[in-house]
Amino acid sequence: MTKTRFKALAEAYGAEIAGWPAEVREEAALLAAADPAFAQAVLARESKLDAALDALPRATASSTLHERIVASAPAPRRRWRLWLAPAGLGAALAGVAAAGLLLGVQLGQGSSISPEASAQAVADLDVSTVPEVG
Amino acid sequence: MVAVDPDEELLIRIADGDPAASRALVARKLPRILGLAQRMLGDKTEAEDVAQEAFLRVWRQAPKWRPGQARFDTWLHRVSLNLCYDRLRRRREVATDDPPEVVDDGPAPDRGLEAADTGRRVGQALAQLPDRQREAVVLCHYQELGNIEAAAVMGVTVEALESLLSRGRRSLRTALADLMER
Repeated sequence: MTKTRFKALAEAYGAEIAGWPAEVREEAALLAAADPAFAQAVLARESKLDAALDALPRATASSTLHERIVASAPAPRRRWRLWLAPAGLGAALAGVAAAGLLLGVQLGQGSSISPEASAQAVADLDVSTVPEVG
Repeated sequence: MVAVDPDEELLIRIADGDPAASRALVARKLPRILGLAQRMLGDKTEAEDVAQEAFLRVWRQAPKWRPGQARFDTWLHRVSLNLCYDRLRRRREVATDDPPEVVDDGPAPDRGLEAADTGRRVGQALAQLPDRQREAVVLCHYQELGNIEAAAVMGVTVEALESLLSRGRRSLRTALADLMER
């Protein structure tokens, strides 16, 4: 690494070589070890700017803001296992059975609903509209 | 492809409607996003608005998040910066043709060297930078992003990022020269 490149890196990324791009750190450290007076002069100048920049106060989030954002998060999903809770299970199965019976009557004896299609239809039910039972 | 994203597990749980995951993500990211917005905009209220809007987008994005495409933190920085730029543009649109005179708040010889005063001077110097230079300095110095990630957030090459950083820091060095001589 040339001195010019070392200086350019310090002027861009600041005095902490650890914060420079990973691929140049080792070479930079070697140069600093080979010419400590040069490296110290360059880094000391940038260190002063870094320190000045660090005087800018940190932003702090109020608990009000924190809670407001948490409250804006999506509501917990209603899950099948809740819907299929004991009391709801009976109602659910009765509903599915009644729907199947009705469909069977309407389509006559020649029609059939495959188990896969039935399972899919149940899966497609919008559980959010099913009232909670029990 | 990217390495394992430390935020990915939380996103999956958020998409599944887990309130504890939402709370954990807010705790993890809000200070960073608020800091980013406040340093970009120099205004606490506007920064809070940006943070709120950014999280609304997070909630919408979580179910659609595709692991391995990008780091979530990078995406969140980009979204937040876009929201900051919307506000900066709006400010310019409402600005009059006769902009207010910039007040020289440089310290008088008899002024105390209070930390708050130094912080205010730094804030003003940052605000005076061109937007892209300020963005580069904020991402690399304050948000502590690596050069590759910062360049990705800004949509520029690493070389362009380095140029923006150099110019930004040069201007800051000039503006804050008196502070650095102490």
